[in-house]
Amino acid sequence: MMEVVAGIVSQLLVRGQFVVLLYFLGVNTWYLILLISSLLEMRRHMLVIANESRYLLLSSTLSPTISILAPAFNEEATIEGSLRALLALQYPRLEVIVISDGSTDQTMGVMIERFNLVPVKTIYEQRIQTKPVRNLYRSTTHPALVVVDKDNGGKADALNVGLSFASGELVCAMDADTLIEGDGLQRMVRPFLYSTDVVATGGTIRVVNGSEVKFGRVARTRVPTNMLAGIQVVEYLRAFLFGRLGWNRLGGNIIISGAFGLFRRESVLNAGGYLHDTVGEDMELVLRLKRLSYEQPGPGKIAFVPDSVAWTEVPESARVLGRQRDRWHRGLADVLWRHRGMLFNPRYGVTGLVVLPYYAFVELLAPVVELAGLFTLLLGLAFGNVDWSFAALFFLTAYGLGTALTAFTLIIEDLSFHRYDTFRDRGMLFWWALLENLGYRQMTVYWRLRGLWKFLRGRKDWGVMERKGFKPLAAPTSGA
Amino acid sequence: MVDEAVLDVVMSVEIGLLVLAAGVYFSHGLWLFVTQKRTLRQMTAARESLARLLTRGAVSVEEIDALRRIPRGVQVAAFLEVSRNLTGTGKDRLRFVAREVSLLDRARKLCESRRWARRLRGARLLAGMDVSDPIVEKLFSDPHPAVRAQAAEWAAAHPSPTVIKSMLAMLADPATQARFAVQDALLRMGDIVAEPLAAFLETHSGSPAESGLRVAGALAESRFLPAALRLSLANESGVRMAAANLLGAIGSAPSAERLTELLKDPESRVRAAAANGLGRMQHWPAASQLAESLRDSTWRVRRDAALALRAIGAPGTLFLRRAIKGDDPFAADMAQQILDLPATATG
Repeated sequence: MMEVVAGIVSQLLVRGQFVVLLYFLGVNTWYLILLISSLLEMRRHMLVIANESRYLLLSSTLSPTISILAPAFNEEATIEGSLRALLALQYPRLEVIVISDGSTDQTMGVMIERFNLVPVKTIYEQRIQTKPVRNLYRSTTHPALVVVDKDNGGKADALNVGLSFASGELVCAMDADTLIEGDGLQRMVRPFLYSTDVVATGGTIRVVNGSEVKFGRVARTRVPTNMLAGIQVVEYLRAFLFGRLGWNRLGGNIIISGAFGLFRRESVLNAGGYLHDTVGEDMELVLRLKRLSYEQPGPGKIAFVPDSVAWTEVPESARVLGRQRDRWHRGLADVLWRHRGMLFNPRYGVTGLVVLPYYAFVELLAPVVELAGLFTLLLGLAFGNVDWSFAALFFLTAYGLGTALTAFTLIIEDLSFHRYDTFRDRGMLFWWALLENLGYRQMTVYWRLRGLWKFLRGRKDWGVMERKGFKPLAAPTSGA
Repeated sequence: MVDEAVLDVVMSVEIGLLVLAAGVYFSHGLWLFVTQKRTLRQMTAARESLARLLTRGAVSVEEIDALRRIPRGVQVAAFLEVSRNLTGTGKDRLRFVAREVSLLDRARKLCESRRWARRLRGARLLAGMDVSDPIVEKLFSDPHPAVRAQAAEWAAAHPSPTVIKSMLAMLADPATQARFAVQDALLRMGDIVAEPLAAFLETHSGSPAESGLRVAGALAESRFLPAALRLSLANESGVRMAAANLLGAIGSAPSAERLTELLKDPESRVRAAAANGLGRMQHWPAASQLAESLRDSTWRVRRDAALALRAIGAPGTLFLRRAIKGDDPFAADMAQQILDLPATATG
C-alpha cells in the first residue's frame, strides 16, 4: 500500500514539475512576443517623433485644456517645490488642482502663504459622491491654480473631488511627489490629437532614486547604488518599455500608472470616477473605461507614450517595498475579480480573450506557480524523484530566460532614449538585471503571495510609504 | 530524467542570449560614447560653418564643401536648429546653402519615397526650412495621416490660394491628427484665409463646418458673421456651439441678438457657449437674460453665465449681488463664488 502511495506521490511530483516547466516556457514565449512587439512599436514611435516640432502644439490655441489633479496628504515639506514645478510645465492651456486630502500638517498653510490663496465660496458640480469639501481657494498670483481642502478619504476620493473641480477636457492624474518632465504633457497629449477614440494615455515612470533633482526637475540621471532601488530601475524599464509598449501594439494596454496618466474628463465622470473600496483604483478605472467602450459607444483606446516621462521615488527598504508589492498584488486580484465577467468573454475582444487571461494566469498566479514549482522541486530532489539535471533545466527556464529578456529590455532603452549614458550606469544596470533573479525575485514572490492571501481575507489597507526625498544637485564650489 | 544534451542546448542558448545581449548593450554604449563626441564636434563645425555662410557677404566654396562632408543626419539637425531662429533674408540664404549641399534635393527624394516614414522625414525637413515646393502639396493626399499632418504644418507658411483650398478641403479629413494640423495651419495663415474660409462656411455644414468654425472662432473676423448666423441654427449641437463661440468672438448687434436667443437652446453646451460669448462681448443689455441663466439646471451654464456677468462689469456685478439675495439657492451660490474669485482668475 505504502509503495502505491509513494508511487503516486512520485508521479505527481514529476508531472507537477513538468507542468510548471511548461508554464514557464509558455510565459517566456509570450514575453518574447511582447519583446518583439515592443521593438516594432518603439521603432514606429521613434520614426514618428524624429525631428518633430512640438512648438506648434505648445502655442496652439486649439490644444485641449488639461487639468492636473494633484492629491496631497501631509506634504508640507515638498508641496511648494512640487507645485512650482507643475505650474512651470510647458503646456499652453493648463489648470493645476491641488487636493489636500485632510492634511494634518502645514500643507494648506504653506500653500496659502506661498501662493497667495484666498477662500472662495465652496460650491462645485458634484457628479461623484465624495467626502465633504471644507474649503476652496484660488490664487491671486497664479490664475491657473485651484486648491481644494477636503476631509481625508484616500487618493481615489481626492481624485474624484479634483475631477469635480476640473474644467479641462483632459485630466492628468498624478501623485503629489511625481516629477513630470517639462515637456511630458505635450508628449502625452499627442494620442488625443491623433484619434478621437483615445480615452486615456500613460507615460513612462522612471526611478528618481540616485538621480539629482533641481527645482523639481531631474537634472542628472544616475542608476542608484542601493540594490533594491537599482533592481527596481530595471523592473520599471521592463514594465514600461517592454510590457506596456508591447501591449500598445497588440491593443491590450489596461494599466496606466497612478503616478502619471491623462484621461478624458467626461469619460471618467460618465464612468463614475475612481472607486474608493479598492487598492487598485488606477487599474480598475482603466479597465472600467475599457469595458464601457465595449458596452456602449464612446472612446476606449488606451495608449502608452514612451517618451513622456515622469519620475518617482521607489522604496529602498524591503519592509516598505514589501508593503507596496503586497498592495499592488491585492489591487490586481481585486480588479480581476470585479471584472471577472470579461474573462474569456468574446464580447470584450482582445481584452477579454487575451489581456485579462494573461493578467490572471501570468501576472496574478505566477507567484503561486513559482512557489509550487520550487516546493515540488525541493521535495522531488529530497525524495530522489527529480534529478539535478532537471532542477538545472527548471532554473534555466524559470529564471535564465527571464534574465536574458530583461537584458534585451536594456537594449531597447539604450537604442531609444539612452537616459543612462555612462559606462558606470550601464554596468550597474546590467549588474542589477543579473542580480534580480537571485533573491529579489523570490522576495517579490513572497510579497505577492502575501498580497493574494490578504485579498482572500478581505484586507484593503494601503500601508505606509516612507520616502527619503530627492537628492539635490551639489552646490557649485567656488575655485579657490 | 532530462537528457544531458537538452540541458546543454538550453544552457548554451541562454548563455548565448545573455552574452549577445551584453555584447549589443555595451557595444552600443561604446558606439554612442564615440559617436556622440564625434557628432558634437561635427555639429559644432556645422553651426560655425553655417554662421559664417549666413553672415559673410560672399558664399565660400570651401565652407560649402566642408558642410557637404558632414554626415547627413548632423546636417539636417544643424539646418533645422538654425532655421528655427531665422526669418527673411537670413532664411533665404540658409535655403540657398541647403540647396548647395543638396539637402533640399534629398528632402524632395524622401517626399517621393514609397515608405511613409521617409516621406514624413522629407516633409519635416522642407517644413522646417520653410521651402516652397509643390512636392509637399502632393502629400496633402498622402495615405498616412502623420504625413498629411506634416504637410499641413508646412502649409501654414505657404498660404497660396491653391494651398488654402486644399486645407479647407482637408477640414473634413477622417484622421483627427491631420484635421488638427489643418486647423492649426489655417489659424497660423491668419487674415488671408478669412475670405475663403467665410465662403467655405457659407456652403458647408456638419463636421467640416464645425471644424472650420473652430478656426474662424480663433480668427474672429466679421466676414464670418453671415455663416455664423446660419450655422447657429444647425441641427448638430456641436455646430451650434462652435457658431456661438464664433458669434461671441465677432461681436456686433446681430451676434448679441442670436446669442441671447441661444441662451434658450435645448442643448446645455450651446447655452453655456452663448453665455460665454455674451461675456466676451461684454454685452450689458443681455445682463438680465444672463441673470436668468443663473437659474439654469446645468452647472456649466450657471457658471458661464455668472462669469459673463462678471466680465460685463458694474451692471453684471449688480445682477450677481441681487442673485445672492434671490430665492434660487443654486444661483445664489454660483453668484457668490464668482464674486469671491480673485481678479486674476478667469474661470
